[in-house]
Amino acid sequence: MYQASETINHKVETKMTENPLPGKRKSQLVDRNVRETVGQAKVPNFRMRCENVNVYYQFGEKKAINNVTLDIGKNEVIAMIGPSGCGKSTFIRCLNRMNDTIEGCRVEGTILLDDTDIYDKKIDVVPLRARIGMVFQKPNPFPKSIYDNIAYGPKIHGLVQNRQETDELVEQSLKRAGLWNEVKDRLTQPGTGLSGGQQQRLCIARTIAVNPEVILMDEPCSALDPIATAVIEDLIDELKKEYSIAIVTHSMQQASRVSQRTAFFHMGDLIEIGPTDQIFLSPLHQLTNDYITGRFG
Amino acid sequence: MNKPENTTSGSVRTVDLVQKGLARRYKAEKRFRRMGLCAISFSLLCLAVLFISIFGSGYSAFQQTVIELDIVLDPSGLNPNNLAGADFNGLVKTALYNMFPEVKDRGEKKKLLSLLSSGAAYKLADFVKAHPDRIGKALSLWVPADDDVDMLMKGHINRNLPETERRLNDQQISWIEALEEQGKIKKKFNTTFFTAGDSREPELAGIWGATCGSFYTLVITLILSFPIGVAAAVYLEEFAPKNRFTDIIEVNINNLAAVPSIVFGLLGLAVFLNFFELPRSSSLVGGLVLTLMTLPTIIIAGRAALKSVPPSIREAALGVGASKTQMVAHHVLPLAMPGMLTGTIIGMARALGETAPLLMIGMVAFIVDIPGGFTDPSTALPVQIFLWADSPERGFMEKTSAAIMVLLVFLVIMNSAAVYLRKKYEKRW
Amino acid sequence: MKKLLLSVLSLVFIAGVGNVGAESRDYISIVGSSTVYPFSTVVAENFGKTTKFKTPKIESTGSGGGHKLFGAGVGVQHPDITNSSRRIQKSEVETAMKNGINEIVEIKIGYDGIVIANSKKAKQFNLTRKDIFLALAANVPNPDGTPTVVPNPYKTWKDVNPELPAMAIEVLGPPPTSGTRDAFVELVMETGGKKFEFIKAMEKADGKQFKSICHTVREDGPYIEAGENDNLIVQKLDANPNALGIFGFSFLDQNADKLQGSVVEGVAPVFEAIADGSYPVSRPLFFYVKKAHVDQIPGIREYLKEFTSEKAWGDEGYLTDKGLIPMPAAERKKYSDIANNLTPLNASDL
Ligand SMILES: Nc1ncnc2c1ncn2[C@@H]1O[C@H](COP(=O)(O)OP(=O)(O)OP(=O)(O)O)[C@@H](O)[C@H]1O
Ligand SMILES: [Mg+2]
Repeated sequence: MYQASETINHKVETKMTENPLPGKRKSQLVDRNVRETVGQAKVPNFRMRCENVNVYYQFGEKKAINNVTLDIGKNEVIAMIGPSGCGKSTFIRCLNRMNDTIEGCRVEGTILLDDTDIYDKKIDVVPLRARIGMVFQKPNPFPKSIYDNIAYGPKIHGLVQNRQETDELVEQSLKRAGLWNEVKDRLTQPGTGLSGGQQQRLCIARTIAVNPEVILMDEPCSALDPIATAVIEDLIDELKKEYSIAIVTHSMQQASRVSQRTAFFHMGDLIEIGPTDQIFLSPLHQLTNDYITGRFG
Repeated sequence: MNKPENTTSGSVRTVDLVQKGLARRYKAEKRFRRMGLCAISFSLLCLAVLFISIFGSGYSAFQQTVIELDIVLDPSGLNPNNLAGADFNGLVKTALYNMFPEVKDRGEKKKLLSLLSSGAAYKLADFVKAHPDRIGKALSLWVPADDDVDMLMKGHINRNLPETERRLNDQQISWIEALEEQGKIKKKFNTTFFTAGDSREPELAGIWGATCGSFYTLVITLILSFPIGVAAAVYLEEFAPKNRFTDIIEVNINNLAAVPSIVFGLLGLAVFLNFFELPRSSSLVGGLVLTLMTLPTIIIAGRAALKSVPPSIREAALGVGASKTQMVAHHVLPLAMPGMLTGTIIGMARALGETAPLLMIGMVAFIVDIPGGFTDPSTALPVQIFLWADSPERGFMEKTSAAIMVLLVFLVIMNSAAVYLRKKYEKRW
Repeated sequence: MKKLLLSVLSLVFIAGVGNVGAESRDYISIVGSSTVYPFSTVVAENFGKTTKFKTPKIESTGSGGGHKLFGAGVGVQHPDITNSSRRIQKSEVETAMKNGINEIVEIKIGYDGIVIANSKKAKQFNLTRKDIFLALAANVPNPDGTPTVVPNPYKTWKDVNPELPAMAIEVLGPPPTSGTRDAFVELVMETGGKKFEFIKAMEKADGKQFKSICHTVREDGPYIEAGENDNLIVQKLDANPNALGIFGFSFLDQNADKLQGSVVEGVAPVFEAIADGSYPVSRPLFFYVKKAHVDQIPGIREYLKEFTSEKAWGDEGYLTDKGLIPMPAAERKKYSDIANNLTPLNASDL
């Protein structure tokens, strides 16, 4: 319903707006009815490669992702933007097989981590998820102490051997997530007792404590104030030196600050992908243009 | 449900509309609240009536009429090394006859003797066994009175009725009155009721045997049904593939929860008694049967508790790379535990109140000896209530109500434990 | 803490279950009639308190249920004694034989009267069995005198017999599963029905129809099945002076201050009248002993001795206090001899 009315609005808008961007003719932009991905989806030096990914919900009744092909490069931050409900979360959750846990959800296509197909039958999801960490859209700390929240992952993977190592790792992770100063005196208190933004940072700290190779972040800063956001953005910058990061965000500024490439989704389609500067300054697709100029979404 | 044109027209402001409807909304709210209050008060009233009627007819069972006898422990008949052969009955008789020297006639003596419980001699025997040093001395001992005397003392028998319509005749009542004058008859707290097993004499009957039986039965039920129920719930909810087979299992479990409990008794009879030849009437078999009965309840409650654990917690665990088993064991199960415990306790409370399945496996029986283990013949509290309710003696009526009170106390304790556990562990959510 | 609790529990469990395999039983197991239950339990309790043996375990399963359990076989898992408010049936003896029980000792213990009582607040009834039959049968002889049956049209006692009060018929009685009901139907309804010539003739000619007329109690309201609990009937009668109730004599005996037994065929249900047989609605009570279990299970002989002693079942014995109507001295002698010698029942006597 919502999407239908949205489409109608576009039509009205396009009629009124003859020339959306000054200095750029409408004819130069790819028509809004073209649903094929515009821009360079593949990079030579990829960490993850998704090819023709389709995602269905409700046992195939509902298609949420439509034939998406996209690479995540090494030491790269890729931002995913798009209107609410366009499938960003759905897509990012495919990358560490989190969608496996949703009943009736089916993923088609190939997703490679380096050279291995992560949807291969022989792949064990447990080490996979240790390699591809995830920060969820809604903060979801364990109903345990702050300390245990961080220590849990390293413990089950055997990354820490003794109490001292654990302490160090917990402190380091919390510091990197910019939470240490706020919680260092209450590590034994439940993580659920923190504020929404603190919980979000706790979840980030929990994810990086496992030391993953790829980090998927679904709107990690949606509940954070500018200062905390800056801390996280700094963290992302630092993490990118070693890891690949995919980040979903509704903030274009954030996307342009942290990412090297940006992918624009619309109603399950990957509309446009390209270097962040290009997407924000001179998008190729009409829809991208409309979105970044705030005409819808 | 405002129409958009109202708000946009400007002439009618939203706040006016809200004001207009406000009175009606509050009225509806009040009506609803009043209805809820009525429902609650009605159920409370029913409960109060139940409690008052049970308490009213049962509280007197916590007292027992006793008669004081002055007994001379004549050493000639009492060999401390062979007390079992001593004639305690004779001692009791002599003591009573001595109090009423005017009673000579044999028939009258018998009537006089019938004021005392047949338990008086056992009481004396117990006393002498505990204090062999008192042999040869005189002592005064309070011994239980017969249930008819007890009923009279408690006012359940009307002294003014014509003699033929009472179980005690005029002469017996005059003896009782004489005892009352001398202060040799009184009511005291009925410890027997809490320490003895069943008896056919109301004044000697107690619920300790049934309580022990219930305890042993519930121990078996708990240690079997809780782990099995939790394991089954976890497997079905978290691990089992969703296919027709598991659907059938689910339907069957739900069905089993609604099956009349007697059916489990029949099953127990066929399987545990006839096939495995476990001892009939034992709390072991009772516990096994009640396990079968409680399992569906625990499984259903367990699954509901597991379902209510938010998916975000599961995702969080899986997201840091926990395996499914780790996710369940470390996060989901601890969160579901209060719900599971509540379900278990409610199931156990139901098991505690169950008689029908026990009938089939021989636990509805007259058992005097206190069960000492899982294979001894035993009854259970509700069975004791059932048996007493069916006994002709008037004295068992108050015993029945008193036993119901005891059972209710246990049920209240168990259900409060369920509430307590829920409150305590929900905080961590 | 949790672990400690768990290990304690499992220890308790192991200790308790440890002796399951032991193929022995050191107490007597008794099943059977709920009518005999109050008597056998008293004996059992006295037996347990005065001897070194454990108190027997007594289940109230009903006479039929008792015979079924009793006849299932020889061995510790089967009961030693079954109580019965009727004589054992030939078919039951045959089943028992088939299961290896060759010798059964039959002991008659006394009589039980079935009374039709009402509250003391109302007038005492003076009934005949014919009255009762007409009041309670589902189908009764046509009031116009033709030898046919019609659905019971009687609403009040006066309809049944003009000498009875004009009170609506309202009788609380046991359900068909109860032994009391069996005996009542047999002793009252059959005899009452036989007061009509054509029904009496039917007994020989068409036994099935005879039974269906005499044994079917009306279900249109006046007869109310009050469950197995006789105390409940007592309470209801006390509360409702217009109702009559059917139950065992012991309940009347215990509630003589509230209830009165109706006179049947001119005889009131008092102790003496039942004992000398003049009260018509009484039945003998029995128990049956598995001879093969005597000496296997400790105490059976002694239990029999206790039961058949004068202090238990004698004229002044403690069982009479519980409402048992004793047998005449000669009959008592006969059965105590049987108990002493364990003379088995002869199947052809049945
Ligand atoms: N579990 C589910 N079952 C069925 N449909 C789902 C499920 N999860 C998401 N969807 C649908 O899939 C589509 C994409 O959802 P998704 O959560 O990926 O959107 P999003 O881009 O992350 O939106 P937002 O920015 O609001 O988070 C939506 O239409 C949504 O309704
Ligand atoms: Mg999302």
